[in-house]
Amino acid sequence: MTATTTTAALELSGIDMHYGYVRALDSIDFRVGQGEVVGLLGDNGAGKSTLLKIMSGAHRPTGGTVKVHGDEVELHSPSAATEAGIQMVYQDLALVEALDIATNLNIGREILRPGLFGLLGFVDHKAQRKRSEAELDKLGVRTAAMTRPVEMLSGGQRQVVALARSATRVTGEQNGILLLDEPTAALGYEQTQVVQALVRRMADQGIAIVLVTHNLQLAGAVCDRMVVLNRGKKVADVRTEDTDNDHIVGWITGARPSMFD
Amino acid sequence: MTTPAQANGAATPGNPGGAASPAPAPGGAPVAAPTKDSAGVRGLIFLRDRGIFVLWLLLIIVFAVWANPYFGTLNNAILIANAAAISAIFAAGVAVGIICGALDLSIPGVAALSSCVTGWMVIHDMPVWLALVVGLVIGVVIGFINGVISLRGFNPIIVTIAMLSVTSALAAIVAGGYTIPGLSKLDFMGTQRYLGVPAPVWIAAGVFIVGTVFLTKTRDGIRLMAVGGSAEAVRRSGIHSDRYKVMAFMISSGCAALGGLVTTATVTEANPNASPALIFTALTAVALAGVSLVGGRGSLPRVAVGALVLATIANGLTIKGIQPYWATGATGLLLLGSLALDRSLTRTVSQRLMATAQASVHTGTR
Repeated sequence: MTATTTTAALELSGIDMHYGYVRALDSIDFRVGQGEVVGLLGDNGAGKSTLLKIMSGAHRPTGGTVKVHGDEVELHSPSAATEAGIQMVYQDLALVEALDIATNLNIGREILRPGLFGLLGFVDHKAQRKRSEAELDKLGVRTAAMTRPVEMLSGGQRQVVALARSATRVTGEQNGILLLDEPTAALGYEQTQVVQALVRRMADQGIAIVLVTHNLQLAGAVCDRMVVLNRGKKVADVRTEDTDNDHIVGWITGARPSMFD
Repeated sequence: MTTPAQANGAATPGNPGGAASPAPAPGGAPVAAPTKDSAGVRGLIFLRDRGIFVLWLLLIIVFAVWANPYFGTLNNAILIANAAAISAIFAAGVAVGIICGALDLSIPGVAALSSCVTGWMVIHDMPVWLALVVGLVIGVVIGFINGVISLRGFNPIIVTIAMLSVTSALAAIVAGGYTIPGLSKLDFMGTQRYLGVPAPVWIAAGVFIVGTVFLTKTRDGIRLMAVGGSAEAVRRSGIHSDRYKVMAFMISSGCAALGGLVTTATVTEANPNASPALIFTALTAVALAGVSLVGGRGSLPRVAVGALVLATIANGLTIKGIQPYWATGATGLLLLGSLALDRSLTRTVSQRLMATAQASVHTGTR
């Protein structure tokens, strides 16, 4: 949408991934700019998850380089990826059910109370709620009361909380990169719409987003660009407005020849 | 019924890909309003979270009438509190363990070992304070060992059962196989009363106040609860969840040691026999308090009331001259009843919330 011409937020070049004799990924180039939503599509086994795992630091590629904001980085573990400003939102969300929304959004970056209580590790719940409210407002979502336990939220609301949690962690001084794995897989139509709008709004704030999905309609609605993998190779990399569903399906199934051969 | 709260989550439907949706704009109108649930739902949630307080109140009223005039006196209240105090201390340990997803069955053994070591030191004329500190430290160290072994991927239940055997054997070795009598130097934390209230009650109250504040107000406590709820969530937030698991074991064993010491002080002798009944009483109190065995939820004040409920039943029935085994049976039935109630309340609440969430999604579209 914007800023695609400047340095990419995340750029992978020549990524190879071999499992023994199996080539899971074959020299993949991939980039996502700030404020850009890139859809990563492909059939099961095409290499989407492997590529995503490389971006999130869960796997190390056999070959190739990864650059974040132009600097080459070594993503040897998920925490290294987190430090580089990359956040992954998994399908299983991993929220703490019994704790409220504010606590879930703040865990790991708690606000302590000033003074002696702070030294003793006392948490400033009020300040946390305020910050979370502000952050959700900025993203334009209001799910429910900040004090509502996550277990009392609907699937869509949970997804929103999980997305917001990751979003608030990547919007530091430098805008980060969000990796979303099937964010709407478990959601109904209207909840999907909410998540879709949220993804768009996060991108508008400058977050770079990689979206792995099977849902072509969703990809068409939120992505600026789509990258299609087929059997470990990149077969298409097109702007959403330059393509249509039929083409994408053709690339996914392999019925349509690769753009790069 | 339907409040703006639920509607907001779904406030921008029909806007595929369109980013500039004005509807729930920052600082929009429904900022103060969006948080209230309907009164009915809130009532049910109150009943679910505070049901044990209601139950205890009912028990007190029933016994006060039934066992009039002996039950409803201040002295009897102190008696009940004293009877509940020691099991409450153990229950606090069990509860913290379970909340963090670590059921610690070594508690009776740890209690026996701590009290025997402390008793041995007191008998051998070492300073009482040092004996107490050593007793507590032993508990915490055993908790640490439990935690570290469990983290190696062993089932904590088996690990702590093994530790139960090891610690009770060590206790017997320290005590030479017999109880260590004559520990009246520990009276100050046993039968001694302060402001008319026995020492164990003060100690239990202290444990619960500190524990509650720790779990709800401090960073470590909140993370500990979060680890019990979803270790994965905590790990993904860049926190070492293992540290908090070990911490839970240490708190659990520390409470066990303290409970053992208070028991020793009350009966003025250190018994090397680990009594497994202790853990079941503690577990009953914890379960009555609605602490989920899956972990991640539970509140210490409710556990305290759970222990008080058990003591109240035993006390009331004793006053009426009913055999103590009836109390045991009544407790079991009560536990089953509370489980059923909890299940049905939880289900009703979630159904109600679902209904309102659905309704508002659809009304929100228009």
